[in-house]
Amino acid sequence: MATVALEGVSRTYGSRSVVDGVSLEIEEGEFVVLLGPSGCGKTTTLRIIAGLVEPTRGIVRIGGADVTALPARKRNVGMVFQDYALFPHMTVGENIAFGLRERRFDQAAVESRMEELLALIRLPGFEQRFPDQLSGGQQQRVALARALAYSPTVLLMDEPLGALDLKLREAMQVELRRVQRRLQITTIFVTHDQEEAMSLADRIVVMRDGRVEQIGTPEDLYRRPGSAFVAGFIGKVNFLRGSIQSVSGPTCVISLGDGLVVEAVAHASCRAGSPGSIALRPENLTLISPQPNADSGRILGTIEQRRFLGNVVHYFVHTTNDQVLIVEESSTGRILDVGDGVGVAWRIEDAFAFGADEPRG
Amino acid sequence: MKAIVARHRSGARPRWHLFLWAPLAISAALLILPQASFVWMSFHKNLGMGLVSDTLVLDNYLRILSDPFYLGSLWLTFRLSLEATVFALILGFPAAYCLARARSSWVSLLVVLLLISSFVTIVIKVLGLSLVLGQEGVVNQFLQAVGIVSEPLRLLNNSSGVVIGLVQYTLPFLVMLLFGVVQTIPVSLEEAAELHGASRASTIRRVIVPLALPGLIAGGLMTFNLNMGAFTSAVLLGGGKVLTLPVLIQRKIFLDVDYPLAACLATVLVVLVFLFNVASVLLLRWNMRSQRPS
Repeated sequence: MATVALEGVSRTYGSRSVVDGVSLEIEEGEFVVLLGPSGCGKTTTLRIIAGLVEPTRGIVRIGGADVTALPARKRNVGMVFQDYALFPHMTVGENIAFGLRERRFDQAAVESRMEELLALIRLPGFEQRFPDQLSGGQQQRVALARALAYSPTVLLMDEPLGALDLKLREAMQVELRRVQRRLQITTIFVTHDQEEAMSLADRIVVMRDGRVEQIGTPEDLYRRPGSAFVAGFIGKVNFLRGSIQSVSGPTCVISLGDGLVVEAVAHASCRAGSPGSIALRPENLTLISPQPNADSGRILGTIEQRRFLGNVVHYFVHTTNDQVLIVEESSTGRILDVGDGVGVAWRIEDAFAFGADEPRG
Repeated sequence: MKAIVARHRSGARPRWHLFLWAPLAISAALLILPQASFVWMSFHKNLGMGLVSDTLVLDNYLRILSDPFYLGSLWLTFRLSLEATVFALILGFPAAYCLARARSSWVSLLVVLLLISSFVTIVIKVLGLSLVLGQEGVVNQFLQAVGIVSEPLRLLNNSSGVVIGLVQYTLPFLVMLLFGVVQTIPVSLEEAAELHGASRASTIRRVIVPLALPGLIAGGLMTFNLNMGAFTSAVLLGGGKVLTLPVLIQRKIFLDVDYPLAACLATVLVVLVFLFNVASVLLLRWNMRSQRPS
């Protein structure tokens, strides 16, 4: 049985639809990330689960029970807010004990639980401090302990790492996953950062314009993107625009202009005779010598820019059909120069063709 | 002046704060000179007919602090001010809270109305109140019609009238101040409280009120200070029967022509209000420090 389930949940504000028919099932102990650009409805979806926003339509279930009409305080969920929302007039200890006191735990239980939690978040002896005496990362951990104190059915996190700098953020991701695995607590985490989503999630729910675009493991989404949007949002990707000539089962043939015709894995949105594009990951492209035999999966061009990034080199190749491809090569091989003529090759199974639905922004 | 302009020409930012010395000096003079002169006056003896002695005496202070009449007036002023402050806070805080939390485009209009109503001169407000609060006034008619009271309440020419007038006078200021206070409390704190299991009442008690407390005390002090010095409502709604200190001071000047005693009452009033404020602030700071060892 799913711990959290959404069934056709929608939320509109006036005529504006923020969440539009979202259905989800989250299993016990699972770490699910809601991922999408700002305004895609991920935070509103989380707040609907929390009970802070009422859905206009649909059903929310937690632990199998319909909680759609239940106020937030009775849903037994924990939440870490974007700004942490620690109570500034209370000590760390009082903050963590907040939910326990509201649930009428006795003093001894509160104290033993607090000790456990402070050890869990690695801040033992901090109970007398005030939030403004802590660093951002420490506040974050206190907020986590407060949300976990009363053993909620599900832990909700709304871009909790957004305010931290990159190093601390990565450390907190590791810390978070450690705590989550230890407690086996079902977690729903909202972020717009795809790298964060990839590193944390068991499953990622990609959202766009209030709808679920695709649900899958990080690997699924990366290797088998369900749409051009997902391909563009998860990891780096090159899009080559063209027109689809024919579709035959799992593959299609697409013309990229300048006489270039290539084969690619066809997405359901591909229609023969309509515009489309192929998505190519920079690391799936290789530079070859510029021989003008236009095989499938081979394109000619000139290196326009080079970025040496340490372990890899990114080449920006201006192709003969006037598009730019980013090619990632290992930095151990020969380094090419700007202005060099090159060929770019890829395997057919690494090229994903999508219909007219192009990525926005 | 030359230096300022010269700095400006040289490309640096002009030192605007230097222009503030003149207005500061004028304000200080206008504030301190009259105060100093009535404090000075309070140490003289009244010789009648508006004349005062040349010698400095403490007679006025001894008289005020030993005469039950003046002490009674002092206590009355204090009590009515405190009552009116408490009522204003009870009425004002929920209003300010709702105003600050409302997500409606009406809010700015309501705040503007509040601002405008605070500009309306107190005489006009009090006049309106005296019509509404009379034996045949709307309030009494309503209370009788609903059956809350059988006899009309006496809401004018007594201390109830004065308290109502004071609340009416200070409420717009207080609501505007508390509106700003509530706005500084992030909504996410209330959401966090609710999510972690707090009922509405518990959220108010454990989160909203403690965080608003410094603002509530500041607003309460402001209201109290306005009340202590309020003259118009005391005179017009008290019907000459509620003798608060400001009313007594006016009488001493215009009826008894006893400038030294009036000055002395005024000094006592100012000093007491000042001490009350200092004590409140110290108490608040002591209370905060005792909660929080730094």
